[in-house]
Amino acid sequence: MLGNSVAAPSGTTLAGTSLAEERRQRLTAAMREAGIGHMVLYGNAWQGDYLRYGADFGILEGHGIALIAADGEVELFLDSATDAQRAELEAPQVKVQLAPDIARAVGARLDRVANAHIAAAPRRFLPHWLADATRSFKLDDATALVDRLLMHKSAGEIAAVRRAAQIADEAYVEFLRAVRPGRRQYEIVADIEAHLRRKGCPDNFMIIGSGGKDVFGMTPPSERRIAAGDLVTTELTPAVEGYFAQICRTLVVGKASEAQRRAFAVFVESLEAGIAAVRPGVRAADVAKAENDVFRKYGLGEYTTSQWTRVRGHGMGMFADSKPHILEDVDTVLEPGMTLIVHPNTYHPDAGYIVLGDAIVVTDDGAEVLCKTPRQLFEVAA
Amino acid sequence: MRRGLIARSLVELPDAVFDARLDRLRTAMQAAHLDALVVYTNNTRPAGVSWLAGFVPYWSEAVLVVPRQAAPYLVAALSFRVKPWIERVSRVADVLHTPRIGLKAAQQIAAAQADAAVGVVDFDGLPAGIAEDLRDGGPQLTWHDASALFASLRAVADPAEIALASRAADIGHRALSAAQGETLNEMIAGVESKARALGAEEIYVAAAPDLERDARFRRIEGEAGFGKTFALRATVAYKGTWIRLVRSMCETAIAQEAAARFAQAVASLPSDRGFAGFRSWLVEGCRVTQPLDALIGTRLGEGHPPPPGALVSVQAALAVDGQTVLLGAPALIGRSGEASSLIADPLYD
Repeated sequence: MLGNSVAAPSGTTLAGTSLAEERRQRLTAAMREAGIGHMVLYGNAWQGDYLRYGADFGILEGHGIALIAADGEVELFLDSATDAQRAELEAPQVKVQLAPDIARAVGARLDRVANAHIAAAPRRFLPHWLADATRSFKLDDATALVDRLLMHKSAGEIAAVRRAAQIADEAYVEFLRAVRPGRRQYEIVADIEAHLRRKGCPDNFMIIGSGGKDVFGMTPPSERRIAAGDLVTTELTPAVEGYFAQICRTLVVGKASEAQRRAFAVFVESLEAGIAAVRPGVRAADVAKAENDVFRKYGLGEYTTSQWTRVRGHGMGMFADSKPHILEDVDTVLEPGMTLIVHPNTYHPDAGYIVLGDAIVVTDDGAEVLCKTPRQLFEVAA
Repeated sequence: MRRGLIARSLVELPDAVFDARLDRLRTAMQAAHLDALVVYTNNTRPAGVSWLAGFVPYWSEAVLVVPRQAAPYLVAALSFRVKPWIERVSRVADVLHTPRIGLKAAQQIAAAQADAAVGVVDFDGLPAGIAEDLRDGGPQLTWHDASALFASLRAVADPAEIALASRAADIGHRALSAAQGETLNEMIAGVESKARALGAEEIYVAAAPDLERDARFRRIEGEAGFGKTFALRATVAYKGTWIRLVRSMCETAIAQEAAARFAQAVASLPSDRGFAGFRSWLVEGCRVTQPLDALIGTRLGEGHPPPPGALVSVQAALAVDGQTVLLGAPALIGRSGEASSLIADPLYD
């Protein structure tokens, strides 16, 4: 499995258009259908998916706002001079403007089309000045419209997620090599990030945990050293052409104890139940319930609550943690083309915090699992 | 999303550093008749909250509330399971967890004083949803933009920040020195590995793969070749302090000549006179909450000249014997009567 590099960004769909062009066509078609003349898309390094969908630029610094016209023309405003220069090269099809006061620069541009129907996504992240009701223009909230586009992937988008999942599998092999007693968590992450850069993968989201029953979750890497007997958890989320795919796995430093094995078996059963529940027409809540019912069966229902776990999975795509969240109160109906991770990650009172999750794509009659790494409690030398 | 080392060091950032900053802030708040201050943070705009409390969100968002007469507290959208981590890496009196951080912050402030005057740092740039929640959560509170107030305190680096920038510069320099390999990706991997292993909170590596064709930087995805001369840029964060460094791979004599001209130009900052004859130049630094705001440079008109004592990062492009050379390093703007000075060597072995 090792040895493959990320292909040079092909960015092409089966129809021969670029992924960026395909997204723009889908976006402008949705805009026309909704009677929207101009779409304002906001992004930053944390929540960059809406911006990237329309402008095909992966922002790293500052604010970015793309103005998409119904005819497909894209203007990209950036307040970071360094990112503006990068955008000129990485998104040559859009008109890039360096705008240190980005809200007012975009506002001045919108003043010229104030009579048109203008919408914004995600509206709640827009700079407050721009969304203020006293402006000459009114910005309707089009977040739900863009969310639908982000959730329903085309064949080309699924192919990118599939490649990212392959990279995630390969990175986990590297993770198994990197974890050794005495090493600090951040040194392990350094190895993984270097591995991904070597493969031409520019972005990744990753958190880690190590220890015993004193550990209740994963965080950015700390100075904590790996020790014999530790459970080491990680979620790895590399991106290919802006599309993230995630894998969650747990390993033991040394031989797993009987308690750790028994605890891990619950997670395997829960993950399998969750994936088995995935098919078009079911709700995200049904998948979460299938996962959680396994924990309840073993008297562990408490550990499926928000006191111990955040979500039982989530969407993946241009954001590492996108909609829908897999929770028992989320009614989003699954449809073919959605890409998700199912992960019953939580605390187990006999072993500590355990993670296990696979990226999947919803197919016409179920789910295709994209991650190929075995669902086992790995062991590395103590 | 951050995935480097986030850890508080009581040696590099002892309580006294935060206390001194908060004392100065509270004095300014009193002069401006503000009862509380709200500072927003996410991983794009962490520099206000990290300066006051050391907290850097690897993900999600938060606001720090600084009452004029009580200890600062954080209202975070991160789940409460992360509370022990936040308390380990930050210096705050309390952490409150809620997805509606604006609403909760306003309610907390109003509970202490219903008609408080509240300053908001970078009010215009605050996410609209949070600004609306602030107003809903405290109907009698009055809101004031406190960007200028905060910038006046934040602009000049204190000794702790200069020390962190020097450490970040050392990490970046050692990382760029580790750029070795047969391919551009191997070199980038070497830089990133070194920086993260040395404790960088974050590193972004960009490349200008062929200076004879294009002197602009981009992030590399997939395979990329490189020309006879090329450059790498490392943007490094260390405990909330950000700097940029640039290394051009070219003949030693050319690099030495370029570095000397670069240092001479930097010495004249904030005047731009030293950059006459350069192809382009850019000075970035923290004004309010973004770590590396564009301050002055070729594309910025009047911009925002950094004041004496400010920490900045400088990038420049110039031609030496017909070859394009890119350089970059952090610098300290000289105080009255002093020349500005680089805090990292722009040359590499």
